[in-house]
Amino acid sequence: MELMRVENVTKTFGTTQAVKGVSFTIGEGRCVALLGPNGAGKTTTIRMLTGLLKPTSGQIRFAGASEADAFRASIGYLPQTPPLYGWMTGIEFLVHCGRASGMTARAAAAAAKELLIRVGLEQAGKRRVGGYSGGMKQRLGLAQALIHKPRLIVLDEPVSALDPVGRREVLELLRDLKRETTVLFSTHVLPDAEELCDDVIIVAAGKVAVQGTLPDIRREHQQPVLELQTDGSGQAMSWVDRWLEAGTGKPYIVERSRTADGFRLVVSDVPAARRDLLGALAEADIAVRRMEFGHTSLEDLFMKAVAAQ
Amino acid sequence: MTIPDKMTGGTVAAGRSVSKLTSPLVRWWVLYRKELLESLRSFKLIWMPLVFILLGAMQPVMLHMLPELLASAGSLPESALMEIPRPQAFEVLAQTLGQYDTMGALITALAFMAVVSGERASGTAALMLTKPISAAAFITSKWAGLLTITMLSFSAGYAAAWYYTYVLFGAVGAGKFLISLLLYGLWLVFIGTCTLLFSSLLKSGAAAAFAALGTAAVLSIVCSLYAEQLAWSPGRLPSYASALLAGADPGSAAAGAVVITLLCLTAACAGSVIALRAKPSVD
Repeated sequence: MELMRVENVTKTFGTTQAVKGVSFTIGEGRCVALLGPNGAGKTTTIRMLTGLLKPTSGQIRFAGASEADAFRASIGYLPQTPPLYGWMTGIEFLVHCGRASGMTARAAAAAAKELLIRVGLEQAGKRRVGGYSGGMKQRLGLAQALIHKPRLIVLDEPVSALDPVGRREVLELLRDLKRETTVLFSTHVLPDAEELCDDVIIVAAGKVAVQGTLPDIRREHQQPVLELQTDGSGQAMSWVDRWLEAGTGKPYIVERSRTADGFRLVVSDVPAARRDLLGALAEADIAVRRMEFGHTSLEDLFMKAVAAQ
Repeated sequence: MTIPDKMTGGTVAAGRSVSKLTSPLVRWWVLYRKELLESLRSFKLIWMPLVFILLGAMQPVMLHMLPELLASAGSLPESALMEIPRPQAFEVLAQTLGQYDTMGALITALAFMAVVSGERASGTAALMLTKPISAAAFITSKWAGLLTITMLSFSAGYAAAWYYTYVLFGAVGAGKFLISLLLYGLWLVFIGTCTLLFSSLLKSGAAAAFAALGTAAVLSIVCSLYAEQLAWSPGRLPSYASALLAGADPGSAAAGAVVITLLCLTAACAGSVIALRAKPSVD
């Protein structure tokens, strides 16, 4: 089922067009990653989704909520740096956010208590937010986005600013969360997206470059990769150079690049590549450290999509 | 996109369908209470009334002790001391209002200079606006908080002045006291509301306080120069409050000034709402 539909949305600030006609849909229950390099228009897009910015043109529709208040109550939003009232305690902040989202005092208090435990802040809940660490603030910000049980949770770079421990904690929470609600988060950390998401939207220079489900994208864009690492000796490296030069004539090579002590090939025919290369290596008696057959990663696709813009 | 495979949804969906929003008024009240709690936690709700009380109590006490102070300073001849007339009670109260013209305005502007710009800079304003909170509710709750704190502080200070005037100089009628309190309080609220407006327009709190104080100062000066032509201007409110204490009846001119001031307050709040809506966050 479709939860949100974004149609041809643009946003212009003064003379610069930050978002240049973006369209996508968010299915109910999906976990969607909005990927893109810095300055691609991720934050602007997210702010339009949350209703904070009005699109210059285009439409954003949310299933079952035409009225502004109902729409806002259906969304939980966590900005890039969690904005908190430092003078409140953790539990006060959650109750305030819940009540501002239209919950009754009793419902907000009960939900706040439950959420503090869930995000691991039950001890810190009675302390002032001003003294929290970065990871604790992020978890409280996440709890704030969840308290009114929104149908869509929108997170802007939820883990980019955290240390490895805090990042792991928030990722685990997200993994738990996506089982019960729809999540959209932006990031430029590709492994996070690969780890968590069902769907991927790659934006570059204000436009959608690639979008689809992660398996579909893999199937369509992934190509076999062959990586060879030698011992880096002069003999091996001169062989690598010779082999790469001769590689022009080999039909299975799509792309080739020399690395510090070997090469990386994107190939079309894995068995042919394997036969040919293994034979050549044995014949020249090259000391191989590592040889790996893999696939192009999301990162390769990302780099390609961004470079194409 | 494909049918979600990770929906375990039953419980969550059921939980959602029963949740109905509280009324906008309840949500406004939540914001207003937050404003008061914040000023309590930041001690604004404590130091502001204290400073106003100090200013209010100081004036009658100072005037009462003035002859002795001058005598102990010893710089004036005996005869001159005898000639210093003892002010009447209403004059003491009017001079107290004169104290608030500078210090009261300064305190009010400083207390509310970051009221919107602070929340915009920290991002909390934008966060609240993504919830079912309108920019109008956000601004008016802040304005109501400003009204409460300003009136509370000024009333406490002015009541202290009234009490010490009664003890040291004699009584001033309760009616005069109350009406002059409302007239002068409205002037302070006008300064506070200007601060709110400039705080929504400008990035820096100091600039907002400066702009609000500048507006008040210019308005006061222009009004004293063109008292006749600008009889209905907010800048005339302090002089109507003093005139009322002296027994004059500013009548329709004061009523006109009140109406125009109320319109100015509405316009300033509307301006703040528009500014916030146009720019909910700094980046």
